[in-house]
This record gives sequence, structure tokens and C-alpha cells, in this order.
Amino acid sequence: MSEHVTLTLRAPLTGSIEAECIAGDRFATLGEAEIAKLSLWAGREEWALGDVFQVVGHRASTVRIVGDVRHVAAIGSGMSDGELIIDGNAGARTGLGLAGGSIEVRGAAGDDVGVGMTGGTIHIRGDAGDRVGAAPAGASRGMTGGEIIVDGSVGVDAGARMRRGLLFVGRDAGDRPARAMIAGTVIVRGNAGAEPATASKRGTLVVGGDLEIPATYRYACTYHAPHVRLAFVHIRRRYGVAIESRFFERPYKRFCGDAGTVGRGEILWLS
Amino acid sequence: MYVNGVFIEDTFAEAFPMRAARIVVTATTLRWAHAAARALTGFATSVIACKCEAAVERELAPDETPDARPGVSVLLFAMDTESLDKRLVERIGQTVLTCPTTACFDGLRDEERRLTPGRALRVFGDGFQASKVIDGRRYWRVPVMDGEFLIEESFGAAKGVGGGNFLILGTDATSTLAAAEAAVDAIASTPGVILPFPGGVARSGSKIGSSRYKSLVASTNDAYCPSLRAVTASSLPDDVDSVLELVLDGLNEAAIRRAMLAGITAACRPGVRAITAGNYGGKLGPHRFPLREIMATSASGGAP
Repeated sequence: MSEHVTLTLRAPLTGSIEAECIAGDRFATLGEAEIAKLSLWAGREEWALGDVFQVVGHRASTVRIVGDVRHVAAIGSGMSDGELIIDGNAGARTGLGLAGGSIEVRGAAGDDVGVGMTGGTIHIRGDAGDRVGAAPAGASRGMTGGEIIVDGSVGVDAGARMRRGLLFVGRDAGDRPARAMIAGTVIVRGNAGAEPATASKRGTLVVGGDLEIPATYRYACTYHAPHVRLAFVHIRRRYGVAIESRFFERPYKRFCGDAGTVGRGEILWLS
Repeated sequence: MYVNGVFIEDTFAEAFPMRAARIVVTATTLRWAHAAARALTGFATSVIACKCEAAVERELAPDETPDARPGVSVLLFAMDTESLDKRLVERIGQTVLTCPTTACFDGLRDEERRLTPGRALRVFGDGFQASKVIDGRRYWRVPVMDGEFLIEESFGAAKGVGGGNFLILGTDATSTLAAAEAAVDAIASTPGVILPFPGGVARSGSKIGSSRYKSLVASTNDAYCPSLRAVTASSLPDDVDSVLELVLDGLNEAAIRRAMLAGITAACRPGVRAITAGNYGGKLGPHRFPLREIMATSASGGAP
């Protein structure tokens, strides 16, 4: 058993590959040769992990990926335990269906990060694409647990149909953040795109920057929201994200909606 | 054994198992955290009549609390888990929920046995309450007139120790009270321990039952009442005219031992003749705190 397994990209990738096999809990029981034989998919073509990555280490739940793997999709799919550290950019569907453990991407990530996840944590140090923490195609629920922290900006439909959990966006979110939320918390430190939290049943969208309140939300009050403070403190302490004092000191305007649904959702806008 | 010229009697304090919760109350300012904590720990000196024993453990700086606000840590002890659960719901509901700007968190997060006062109190929200899961813990947001009361759903119920004690035997009331105050101050910096009596000190040491009234659970410890020296089988030396007791509840034996060491050391000062402890011959509970064994680690003075 080694301290960790290191996967080093042998050569830059030009086409996209699927790497659902890369997960801390799977590597924890495998020797180096067994890890190298795991399957990757380039379209219909099956490759071995060892063809694409140099594998060093065995039987460790901590996995380090070295190199720009922006074309490698579905890293950490269904992982239930262990630690995955990606030293550069990551591809689409990183942490798909994550159930436990942690994934850290030290660069940017593609679309569908944490889609359908039920637990664990994903920390993207750069930007992330569309549909972070949202529902998988055809599914009624987005993430149902766990935490996604994106230090940068995210694309459209962040947290769409989210059922539970926390999604934090360090900069701006594209259109329709928290769309059709069922519950959970989406925090956008910067600006939120058009149609925020539309069709949400419950849940919380917190916005620190520019925002256009939908007509289906009604103003309730301006107050200090204790759970927002708690979430910010947690994000700062756990993930080392710098949070400006204004998020703690200023009150939030509370808007309740969406009136087109059960209307138990809220938008909290830093005043 | 003598410590700073004060005789340490060769006896032990006897204590019994309790169930304990640590309640972290935060607020906009320390003033309001203390206001809630004072009410939360009111009328909680002894399980005999108060159903629980509680006191402030210590103040918490913002970097020690879950929401980075100033706070106060309270320890609350009851005789069993069921009773502890009831006391938490009653007391948090009436004293913390009601206090402006406060929030309430569990201070024993590693404890496996969980009680759920937050779940019970959420219904005060009359259906408008909402929950949030942050860092794997569920919190309830209860709407109130100044905004929202936030309370963690579950609190740890630890195995605690109740009834640790020592008695300060002094030559006069002033010296004895000063020694007790010094002991209280010394114990205040010991984590995991509280002194549930007023100001940390009890003057009404008790014996089990009564020699006269059969219905009494406890009555005055006449052997340690100076005013009864001439009419009872007194345990007091001739020159002792005042006795005060410190009762300690702790999260474990080690915490009580540390606190007793700190407290007794501080109490051994001029005007104090002896330190002793209350026990019932081992019939009260399984925990024993031998004074001389505890003090052996720091005995600093010989016989006067």
C-alpha cells in the first residue's frame, strides 16, 4: 500500500475520453498493474488506463492526477470515499454522482460538475461550465447532498433542480441559477444571470452582486440571515475561500417565491 | 498532607454518573450571549430539585464558534438521557429561542449518542420553519420577530460525572469566602467542568436524608455547621468557624481531577485550616476523587 496513486498524463490528449474508473475508493483495493488495466473509453474504443497515464502507486484511496485532463470526462464518477486531486484542468462530468470523499480540481472544470451527486465535496479552484450540481439529463432531481465549491465563475443552470446540499460560486453565475430548485442552497458571491431561482419550490439562492429579481418573487424584509453567515463561515474555514466582511456585516433583502410553485423558496440579496 | 500550610484530609469526594450536553450560544454581542446563558442556567444548581445542573463553562471567541460570533459555552447535566432531552427542549426553548439575536449549536459533535432538541423546537415555527444542511449537519431556521432563530438539530449526550466536591474549612467567614472565590476563579479556566451553585459556591452542604423529617431527601450537613458544634457530632476542628463547598460536574473524571487540583491549590491560602470532601462511603456512585492523590502532583508546602 502506497501513500497515494499518481496518474501522470503520458501525452496531451486531443480527443475526449471517459474515465469513470478513476476514483479513490476503487484504487484502494487494486495493485499498480490492476489499476493500469482499468478501462477508459474513447468513443466506442476501449483503452487501458495505463495507455494514457503513467501509474505509480497502489492500494491507496488518495489519487493525484498530473497534467491537463480537460478532455478526460467523468473523473470520480460514483466515488464513495477517498481523495482525488487534479493538478490541472478537469473535463466534463467531474464527480458525476459523487457519493462521498473529496475531489479537488486545481484548475478549471467542464460542464456538468457534480451532476446527480449525493454526498462528498468537490472544490474547483478555477471556473466551471454549465449545469454544476444540476440534474442529470432526464432526471427530476439535481444534487441531493454534498458540497460544491467553485472559486471562479460557472455557466448556466447552476444548481438546477437541486434537492439538497450546498453550491458556492466564488464569482459570477450564468443564466438561470438555482432554476426549479427543490431545496438546498446556492450562493453566488458575484453577479447572477437572468431568471434566477425561477420555478423554485424551496431552497435558497444567495447573491452578492447584480441580480434581477423575478416578478414571481415578493419582498419580505431586510435582515441578517443566520444560516447564510453559518454557510460563509463554513466555506471560509473548510475550503480556505476568502469571504469579504460585507457578507457578514450587511443585511440581506429576502424575497419569497416562486409564486408559480409552492412558493417556499427564497432569494437573499446582499443589500 | 499539607499544601501551603493547609491540611488536606485523607478522604475522597464521591461522584456519580450523569448525562451531559454542551450548548454553544452565540449572539451579535457577548452581552446577549450571556443574557441567554444566564437564563439557560438559572435554577439549575442541583438535580435534587432543579432536575438538572448547569452553568457557563466559558466564553468563546468568534474564531471558536460555528458562526464566528461571540459566544458562551454551557454545560448541562441530568441524571439520564431522557431527562437531559427534556431539559434541553424546555430550557433552550424558553431561554435561548426567546433571546434577541441568538443562535444555538451543539458543543459535543463527536458524541455518538444524539438528542434532537432542535427538531423538537422547530415546530415553534408553525410550519414556516425550514432546515439547512451545512457541513453534514442539519440546522433549523425558526422565524421569530427579529429575524430567525437558528438551532442545530441534534446535540451530543455525553457520559458525565456529577457531584465532585471539596470543602474549604476556614477560621472565619471572610477568609473562607475569599478562598472559595480564588478556587472558583482557578477552576474557571479548566475546560469540561462547571460549578453549578451560585457563584460556584454552596454553603448548604447536605447529608443524605434527615434525622428528623422522613420525607426529606437531603438535609443540612450538621457535622460541618460551626453553629452546631456544641450540639452535634461535629467534624470541625476547634478553630474552624466557616465552611464552604465547591461542587463540580464534569464531562469526565480527568476534567474533574484537573479542576479539583486547580481549585484546591488556589484555596490553600491564609485563613484556611483544612480541605476535605463529601462522600457516602462509596454508596453514592462509582467515581472517587481522593484528595491527597490529586494533590500529590503539586503539593508545595509542609506542615506549619
